[in-house]
Amino acid sequence: MPVRPDEENGAPRWVKISVIVAVAVVVVFLVVLIVGSGQHGPGRHTPGGPSEPAPDTAGSHTGPPPGVGHGDE
Amino acid sequence: MTLLMSPRLRKAALTAHVTSSVGWLGAVAAFLALAVVGLTSTDAETVRAVYLVAEPLTWFLILPLAFGSLVTGLVQSLGTTWGLFRHYWVIFKLGINLFAATVLLLYTQTVSLLARVAAESNADLRELQGPTFVLHSAAALLLLVTATFLAVYKPRGMTRYGRRKQRELGRVGR
Repeated sequence: MPVRPDEENGAPRWVKISVIVAVAVVVVFLVVLIVGSGQHGPGRHTPGGPSEPAPDTAGSHTGPPPGVGHGDE
Repeated sequence: MTLLMSPRLRKAALTAHVTSSVGWLGAVAAFLALAVVGLTSTDAETVRAVYLVAEPLTWFLILPLAFGSLVTGLVQSLGTTWGLFRHYWVIFKLGINLFAATVLLLYTQTVSLLARVAAESNADLRELQGPTFVLHSAAALLLLVTATFLAVYKPRGMTRYGRRKQRELGRVGR
């Protein structure tokens, strides 16, 4: 693929814009995370909120599929 | 050094990559449809079913397709003249794939946890109905559509490393 003259001195414009957008998204995400007191993760989604421990699953466990380990066990 | 694949092998690798990547996108779209049903339904059994079926859908379909896409993508780029770090669009696509696969791997904990809660006979399913599935699958879908766009349009732009390699190949070819 031939190199265009405007590519000789650095990244093309679409790359620069994409990087700016990606950084902006990450910053917004971090701000939301900080404002939300860092509440993000599996515990947040259980009834009762983030402070409640994972429910006892003995006898009622539907998964994981055989041979597949859970990261939270 | 690049170990270039033969044309037949390259076609097979490309087929595997497109199949797993588009399959991943489709599986995430199916997950999003389920998530919307789980979020909006007023029927407790429907909500329970959504959270229960989300787990095998994630473990048996989305996760294997995601890592299939990642591995076949690496093979495809390293085994062809596209390379892994020569073109910006390849680097972006790799970044999207790595990011999405990592978040997916971490998110399996949430999916399994919610499936266990849904399986509890006394679970209050109204408390279970959060937007987490919809938000995560919608974001994943956006990323995967972007990756597909990059793969199809292949926007111009070579890295400094790519330009150097191109010059080296040009000299060898003469």
